[in-house]
Amino acid sequence: MKVKIITNNPLVYSLYSEDYDIDYQEISYEGILKKTRDYVHKGHELLTHPLSGSVKPNETPFKTLLISSKSKDLNLESLSIIENSIETAEKFLQRQKKYSDDIEKDFMEIDLSLIENVINKLL
Amino acid sequence: MSKYKIVHYINQFYAGIGGEDMANYEPEKREGFVGPGQAFQGNLKDEAEITATIICGDSYYNENMEEAKNKILSMVKEENPDLFIAGPAFNAGRYGMACGDIASSVEKELGIKSITGMYIENPGVDSYKKNIYIIETKNSAAGMRKAVKSMSKFGLKLLNNEEILSPSEEGYIKRGLRKNIFVEKRGSERAVDMLIKKLKKEEFTTEFPMPKFDRVPPSPAIKDMSKAKIAIVTSGGIVPINNPDHIEASSASKYGKYDISRFKDLTCEDHETAHGGYDPSYANEDADRVIPIDVLRDMEKSNRIGKLHNYFYTTTGNGTAVANAKAFAAEIAQELISDGVDAVILTST
Amino acid sequence: MKLELGKIEITDIQFSNESRIKGSTLYVNKKEIENLILEDEHIKEVKIDIAKPGESTRITPVKDVVEPRVKVSGDGGIFPGVISKDETVGTGRTHVLKGAAVVTTGKIVGFQEGIIDMSGSGAKYTPFSQTYNLVLSCDKADDIKAHTYERAVRMAGLKTATYLGELARNIEPENIETYETLPLMKSKEEFKGLPSVAYVQMLQSQGLLHDTYVYGVDAKQIIPTLIYPTEIMDGAIISGNCVSACDKNTTYHHQNNCVVHDLYKRHGKDINFIGVIITNENVYLADKERASNWTAKLADFLGVDGVVVSQEGFGNPDTDLIMNCKKIEEKGIDTVIITDEYAGRDGASQSLADADEKANAVITGGNANELITLPPMDKIIGHIDYVNKIAGGFEGNMTEDGSITVELQAIIGATNELGFNKLTAREY
Repeated sequence: MKVKIITNNPLVYSLYSEDYDIDYQEISYEGILKKTRDYVHKGHELLTHPLSGSVKPNETPFKTLLISSKSKDLNLESLSIIENSIETAEKFLQRQKKYSDDIEKDFMEIDLSLIENVINKLL
Repeated sequence: MSKYKIVHYINQFYAGIGGEDMANYEPEKREGFVGPGQAFQGNLKDEAEITATIICGDSYYNENMEEAKNKILSMVKEENPDLFIAGPAFNAGRYGMACGDIASSVEKELGIKSITGMYIENPGVDSYKKNIYIIETKNSAAGMRKAVKSMSKFGLKLLNNEEILSPSEEGYIKRGLRKNIFVEKRGSERAVDMLIKKLKKEEFTTEFPMPKFDRVPPSPAIKDMSKAKIAIVTSGGIVPINNPDHIEASSASKYGKYDISRFKDLTCEDHETAHGGYDPSYANEDADRVIPIDVLRDMEKSNRIGKLHNYFYTTTGNGTAVANAKAFAAEIAQELISDGVDAVILTST
Repeated sequence: MKLELGKIEITDIQFSNESRIKGSTLYVNKKEIENLILEDEHIKEVKIDIAKPGESTRITPVKDVVEPRVKVSGDGGIFPGVISKDETVGTGRTHVLKGAAVVTTGKIVGFQEGIIDMSGSGAKYTPFSQTYNLVLSCDKADDIKAHTYERAVRMAGLKTATYLGELARNIEPENIETYETLPLMKSKEEFKGLPSVAYVQMLQSQGLLHDTYVYGVDAKQIIPTLIYPTEIMDGAIISGNCVSACDKNTTYHHQNNCVVHDLYKRHGKDINFIGVIITNENVYLADKERASNWTAKLADFLGVDGVVVSQEGFGNPDTDLIMNCKKIEEKGIDTVIITDEYAGRDGASQSLADADEKANAVITGGNANELITLPPMDKIIGHIDYVNKIAGGFEGNMTEDGSITVELQAIIGATNELGFNKLTAREY
């Protein structure tokens, strides 16, 4: 199945940009969720759960999601999941924390780890 | 020993000034208690006294919220009370909204403990329960004595900094705030107990009620739109010019049914909005922006739709009690069915 | 399967020249433990400390907590497929050092998680303020990756718990409890008049710091399956899950799975506890659909009347939980689900990331966003400056006197979703 990667994680970008359809933008966590919502409205299917991992939305700035490459009719299940996820994330995002570069690298690694076993499965 | 000072807020009706006709009464402060304040004073006699009462008309408050709030806040500040009591408002929607708003503001901006009282269906409850304690009352002033008693008791607890217990124990309406508490049994034991009860079909109480989803299954789609009779129903408050039936700007107690058979296009000369919850200028300029009569007439002409129904139904949505909205809808639906309407376009703002 | 669990009470722990148990004191030879851990070249240095209940001590950032146990009879050894060989456990007799725990800490990623306060206001929110803890602070060798380091710290905790458990092999336990689960058909025959109940345990399975292992198998790779409750008591399920502190299951939680214990308490009396279905919480949505379909299918296949479902972690597992609940209820099976809440600091926000009206029987472990102020502690084991980066802590949350204000989610086990604690949340 063909997938599209939506991410703001430079580590994910560096590893997958050559072989995959990737929409990479250095925007916020919330920005990634909302961009995904836009794709869902255009008919793409959400393939991974946006609230992956237990690291909270106000701790990690990085988020990677997978959606279907092709778009069809609006998938209501996908819409419901992305909307609920945005609502859940918003609870935390009012208290965004700032981290050093080292720690940001760690968050990149975790975000990568949460997605790579899925990407490998879909190879 | 000095008594606690209380400021009491009531509306024009309870102050004996007048009814709906005096609902535009501007905020006024009087010394001592007024109206139901006497009953409060009776309950609190040894420990507290009402040093001042603030009176404000429900329409004035709801339609001029910023100004009303600021005026009243300075009045309260002058008095510097230990407790602020608003209402009780029972089921009066605009009074409830005013009480909820002013009580929350007094607490938030002046740091003064505040309470109010309302009937559970009062729209003020959903809007303000998270911000302020609302003591549960009956749905009319017949419940005044009991309401005053509960509110006084609770007010004293707040004044004495006593521990506030659960909603059912204290008589306030559930605020929708989750608070942690340690109990006797661990979660897994509570889970097994609950399952055994459920299996035995015995009653149990869930520790987390799921949010209620008011799902309405949609009717089957219209097969042939060119033969369909379409009606407009709105909560955007559009009414004939000068609002002949006085539909309220908020917490509507009624809906209107108006003939549009001679209208092809609404203008500022014939229609306006009564809704107090949004900037009215664009709707007043052209009510088609809220109920698209002009477009529907075009569609009728080109036979895109069969016919636009002769009447439209209207009310204002903001602060309107869910119970009222349901009741209006049930009546309106009956009429639409008897009039052979096939589909409704619902607009709001 | 029938397992005897023999408890040896531990009421003190001390360093000594010889590792042994005398009375109810656990004596530990520090050097031997050090050598054991440093066998792994990925660990450069390890500091070993003791933390006792009531002491003014804070342990952070906590990775895992493990209870020392040893299999004295029956097939296999503790932590099958990981420490011991891959034999099926859950029968015979196992000894437990009750009151002792091995706690691992380490800077695997900078933002590390998890506080255990041995006294003060935070103590009542974690079970590990009541245990005599041997704390291992492991520093990694240079240039190794996070995955490798995580595994090294994980193994260090398990190896140490195994080493300590071994000391109890020949001691006669003060009390022995027997747990038995008959094979399905025999069980249904034996307890004919009783409603049958299964436990559905959801395991965290998402990636680095978010994994669980079953007989050493990564739970991301499993399809829902059956396991005997007593296998879990022998360490068949271990934690590679470090996030979030409040609602992840430590290995200790797995070993002492309270849902298993509380179901056994009523087994043969009000219910027939027939066994455990384990399932996972993968990120890929199709996996969630498959897993929940399969879990509901298994429950139906087993012919149970009711299930208790527990989850693990924040956010997307709420979707698995609701899927499992809905699909099992649709088979006509009663469910009770155990979760925790993120209702915001004021408790006013929507608690769960997913919901369904079929989930009408819910147990909550509490609101993880609630704030708590922890007093300063005299001794810190681990790294205190990471507290600001701990989940729930915020910039400037430490005052001059050393007290910190954090959300409950920073405390190990605070809102555990197995229902380990007596904390709940109510609507006010």
